[in-house]
Amino acid sequence: MSIGLAILLLVLAVLIALAVRRGEAALPITQRIVEQFAKLVPRMLCALVAAGFIAQLIPKEAISSFLGAEAGLIALPIAAAVGLIVPAGPVIAFPIAVVFAKAGASVPALVTFITSWSLFAMHRILIYELPLLGASFLRLRAVSVALMPFLAGALALLAGLLVSFGAPVTAH
Amino acid sequence: MAERPFWTDSAWRRKLLGDAFGRGFWGFFAAAAATGLVCYWVKGPELFAEAIVRDFDALMAVLPRVMVALSVAALIWAMLPRDKLSGLVGREAGLTGLVIATIAGAITPGGPTSAYALLAVLAASGADRGAMVAYIASWATLGMQRVLVWDVPFMGAEFAIFRSLVSLPLPIVAGLIARRLPFELTVRRDAPPPPKGGEEFLP
Repeated sequence: MSIGLAILLLVLAVLIALAVRRGEAALPITQRIVEQFAKLVPRMLCALVAAGFIAQLIPKEAISSFLGAEAGLIALPIAAAVGLIVPAGPVIAFPIAVVFAKAGASVPALVTFITSWSLFAMHRILIYELPLLGASFLRLRAVSVALMPFLAGALALLAGLLVSFGAPVTAH
Repeated sequence: MAERPFWTDSAWRRKLLGDAFGRGFWGFFAAAAATGLVCYWVKGPELFAEAIVRDFDALMAVLPRVMVALSVAALIWAMLPRDKLSGLVGREAGLTGLVIATIAGAITPGGPTSAYALLAVLAASGADRGAMVAYIASWATLGMQRVLVWDVPFMGAEFAIFRSLVSLPLPIVAGLIARRLPFELTVRRDAPPPPKGGEEFLP
């Protein structure tokens, strides 16, 4: 069993014990799990399968020369730009990250990509941020967080020089 | 009257089926089928078969983790009082305020509906702009739902921990920048309720 699943199972066991002690109603929680599962899993599985085919199709050298370790610092702005233009939710963004990882993208590039996407995902800005908070908040926030993807990537790069930790699971 | 279990409600079951296999699903299905066809056509049957085997392995690896992660997320969502979180953010000034906002953003359970609703409450109550930016930046990059349901199953625990650690100080930096920017901030006090629907995960 992988360490990821082991950690998740441990967290789950602790939470279930906590919920039982607090006498939480099991039915609404179960209902939420089933609903989230139905909304998420069928699409996620299709996206993963598509990602596998795309990983087979795209030339690995192209990805690794832009986002791999040999690309050096230039990989960070490229990864940030790609994260910026992925206009959809995690169902699409994370399979893309898996494709990049399989093709040899470096850990700092992957960190930069995910950070950039998570901060600037266009669907979230359009559906939530603009209607709820307005354009002036969007301007303030966008400028304030603009450096974050690069800082995350740079920190990952520095940390990578000190420790060898953080490699993604590319076996799958 | 005793409450009947949710699965006996036929309207709920129909909605569930629609959520699972509605138009959005068929879009994803079509993408998978199309990329599969192109793969077969361009790379030939052998590499296509290899991709199928690897896809299957990937599904088998991701599925159990996603199921456990979803259960974890639902339990936290049920047990953590979201309305109390907003009372914590924006009260403290200085660096402490930004640290609290970052922690609140990371532990806010649920997807954008929960987080942006809380942010709108903060805005309406006149919270510090640095805390607001730090909160939503933290939710976006460190939110535990994203890390649990997406980073861990797709990229592995090691990468998830690594990414969280290097991102930890960044919402505070963003909050400090936001406090220094001379932009005028006009927040809506009559914000509409957050859109309902595919709240947690979908585009």
